[in-house]
Amino acid sequence: MADATAAVCNLAILEALSGDAVQEISESYVGFCAATESLLSGIGDLSAGSEMARHVHRLCKYQLHSLVWEHFLTSLEENFERNGAVKFWQHFEPYRDISISEVDRSHVCDDQIQEVLCKALEEISLENQYQKKCLLVLVDALQTYKDQVLPAKCGAVTKKEFLLSKYQLMISSVLMASLPRHFPEILRWYFKERLEELSATMAGESTDHFDSQENDEMDVDGNNRMPSESSRMDIDGGLHGDFSENKLIKNIGKVVSDLRGIGFISMAEDAYASAIFLLLKAKVNDLAGDDFRSSVLDSIKEWIQAVPLHFLHALLSFLGDSFSYERSSDIKSPLASRPLSCYPGSDNLSEGLVRWQLRLEYFAYETLQDLRIGKLFEIIVDYPESTPAIEDLKRCLEYTGQHSKLVESFISALRYRLLTAGASTNDILHQYVSTIKALRTIDPAGIFLEAVGEPIREYLRGRKDTIKCIVTMLTDGTGGNPNGTGNASDSLLEELNREEENQENGAVEDNFNTDDKQAWIAAACWEPDPVEADPLKGSRSHRKVDILGMIVGIIGSKDQLVNEYRVMLAEKLLNKSDYDIDSEIRTLELLKIHFGESSMQKCEIMLNDLIDSKRTNSNIKATIGQASQTSTVSEDSGNSLDILDATIISSNFWPPIQEEVFNLPGPVDQLLSDYSRRYTEIKTPRKLQWKKNLGIVKLELQFEDREVHFMVAPVHAAIIMQFQEQKSWNSKKLAAVMGLPIDVLNRKINFWIIKGIIAETMDQEGEGHIYTLLEGSGDSTKNGGDGGSCEELLAVDDEGEGSVASVEDQLRKEMTIYEKFIMGMLTNFGSMALDRIHNTLKMFCVADPTYDKSLQQLQSFLSGLVSEERLDFKDGVYYLKK
Amino acid sequence: MGTRPLSDGIFFTCALPSYTMLKEDEIYRSMISWHAVASWTWDAQDETCGICRMAFDGCCPDCKLPGDDCPLIWGSCNHAFHLHCILKWVNSQTSQAHCPMCRREWQFKE
Ligand SMILES: [Zn+2]
Ligand SMILES: [Zn+2]
Ligand SMILES: [Zn+2]
Repeated sequence: MADATAAVCNLAILEALSGDAVQEISESYVGFCAATESLLSGIGDLSAGSEMARHVHRLCKYQLHSLVWEHFLTSLEENFERNGAVKFWQHFEPYRDISISEVDRSHVCDDQIQEVLCKALEEISLENQYQKKCLLVLVDALQTYKDQVLPAKCGAVTKKEFLLSKYQLMISSVLMASLPRHFPEILRWYFKERLEELSATMAGESTDHFDSQENDEMDVDGNNRMPSESSRMDIDGGLHGDFSENKLIKNIGKVVSDLRGIGFISMAEDAYASAIFLLLKAKVNDLAGDDFRSSVLDSIKEWIQAVPLHFLHALLSFLGDSFSYERSSDIKSPLASRPLSCYPGSDNLSEGLVRWQLRLEYFAYETLQDLRIGKLFEIIVDYPESTPAIEDLKRCLEYTGQHSKLVESFISALRYRLLTAGASTNDILHQYVSTIKALRTIDPAGIFLEAVGEPIREYLRGRKDTIKCIVTMLTDGTGGNPNGTGNASDSLLEELNREEENQENGAVEDNFNTDDKQAWIAAACWEPDPVEADPLKGSRSHRKVDILGMIVGIIGSKDQLVNEYRVMLAEKLLNKSDYDIDSEIRTLELLKIHFGESSMQKCEIMLNDLIDSKRTNSNIKATIGQASQTSTVSEDSGNSLDILDATIISSNFWPPIQEEVFNLPGPVDQLLSDYSRRYTEIKTPRKLQWKKNLGIVKLELQFEDREVHFMVAPVHAAIIMQFQEQKSWNSKKLAAVMGLPIDVLNRKINFWIIKGIIAETMDQEGEGHIYTLLEGSGDSTKNGGDGGSCEELLAVDDEGEGSVASVEDQLRKEMTIYEKFIMGMLTNFGSMALDRIHNTLKMFCVADPTYDKSLQQLQSFLSGLVSEERLDFKDGVYYLKK
Repeated sequence: MGTRPLSDGIFFTCALPSYTMLKEDEIYRSMISWHAVASWTWDAQDETCGICRMAFDGCCPDCKLPGDDCPLIWGSCNHAFHLHCILKWVNSQTSQAHCPMCRREWQFKE
């Protein structure tokens, strides 16, 4: 076939020839073909060369050069296909069906493949080299003819190079054309296994650090191909022994250069690059793991230096890549000034390695970053123990700039894992605070934090107990962080305060740059309400504003928070049986720092009331010995007065107090009026008004076999005292004696039924129930406590009613005045948006009482009206319900 | 009458021999302590100060704490004011001060 083509091409020449010439040509051609044949088949034997040269010279005489070399190349191709490619691929045939995945990587199989690969490559390289030699014989023959005809050498080199490159192209296309699909994978596997082996060797090796600067100087000028010359390297101090003398490296280097020899240059590079990246990824995963409490970035970077870069350096040196081009030594890569330039060898090698280093580091940063972002939720749960992981992530993000990845991934984790009905408001809040604290490190300007925080804030706004939980978290040390971080008895305010003090002390380590600071200041303008007084706020408080500001941002206004605190404080103070308010005073001081003194004025008066009460109480007790001037009847109760203490409040400054009316047992009533009388004597013209339902009573009930202590609300004490006179009561009669509505009595007495002190039976004769004091300790033990002095604190009523009206109740009460007005507006205008109602109220209700509610307060009042089906809310506007 | 246990099984601590005479003691003994809550108020006819219009039980505009720190004072006409308010008023008058409420000559009540 090839012969025929060649013949056709030379047809024109043939026609012009004489019969003798034709005879000579055809004889020579046949001879040439036979010589070629024997040259190619005579393995290692080039003796057919001279025979072939004769024929070549004769054919060239007739200008048949191209016929000669084309035939020769074709023969080479056929021979290569037969003896090279087919045999080569046959080696890998058994591995066709082996999926070279992570799953089956038996060592036997690995060793086999390694062996087969090396053998196959060696074989094909030998074949290749022999063919090249044959080609050179032809080149030589052509050359000698040319030298005879044209003494001047021209085009000789070109011809040789032309033929060699044509040959190269030919063999690689033969191989490529028959490339089995699984071969690249075999290569990748080979490199992966070798690198892992290498990595394990490296890990085993001692990591001696020694300075090799002197050695390097010797090496700089040496353009040595010998790997041993460049065996010592010093990258960022990481240094390992004669790495490139390593047998393994030589093995790998041999494989790479064999692959290059058969034209698989980029395939080889792809294979070892992907093996390196795979190994790096595995290493990052391995080092990082699920341990967030130590930093891994530096060890990853060290490892990059120690293993892949070391390997690449050795490999590239072995291959002699760096010396394939000459470069002017004064043109240096800007990167070459880095420590890497102390690699022995030319700039090219360093430059190549620097590029590799950058690629590998970027990949490592990105891998670690993705890993950490994927686990950010857990990391934040683990905060602050996970600070090292956060620091790593920060450095990664600074490098990759992929902050948006973090935002997206974290928000979806939040939605999936935190913002669900099952999570308690407290948990959400704590995670929110931890998120702020953790991300503040990564994002000091708070830009991404804003995006991440918004879904949490929005979710929390939909929860009823959010404000309460926030206030508790801020002010209550005991119910603090469930993660148990830091001081157990620390409130968040306390923590923020301490943090600030620490920052003041270490003010030097202020690593904010000015741009960040500007952004920070802008971000710090969170305060929706004007701050009347913030005496302690200097520039230093900007950083603190962040966390607190973002917490207040959930609610929208600081006033609501303060208001809620006041209600909770009132509840707490009214349930104290002593006057110990040290922790409340401390909290108030902190709140004053953050929210301004004037905001906390009422709370301050409340605390002051307790201090005053304590003093007044002991003054009153001091009068017990003295005869009361005004009293005529109560001398005998004077001795009992010592069991009565009182908290005396300035009710104007307290939240509205829930009052309940009932009759106290006569003796107790007597005590109270005695106390009042003594108070008035000391404090005239001031007098007391008892809030009979408030306070705490400590009781001791004695059974045959044990005594039980209770701390109860006055109403419960009053009820049980009635059973001292009479062991069994009809509910109606008891209600009458107590001055309580019967349903209220039934509810209240439930407390004692649950405790197993009182039994409830139906009245056989009339209506209602019979309540009986339980006899014996039999079935009451289970509830009564275990015979000791078991103190049961029952600060708040069993029905969960507080002593103080809740903020919502207060608001509803206060807003009722405007209800008529709002209804009137809606009658006139048909429908109105929230803003408009708010502004109209502000405009018209300027006196008696002035409308002073916030938009949020109005909104919550209106949604109350909507749920009562008095208003309709659609498309952002309110209507009257028809 | 003798000892009168509340029931066969339960006593309030130290139930004493005579119920009728010592009923009260029984209660007190069973009651370790009673912490009560009261609010204080000025014993005045009006609720607000005629000068500053603030509640008596609050305090005058110059004060922060009510009660002892900002007391009320009565005039001989029986009108009451925050002490600080009437002092300011009296001091602001060039001649003899009059009660801001009834225009009678102002005199502190003895
Ligand atoms: Zn006044
Ligand atoms: Zn005052
Ligand atoms: Zn008067």
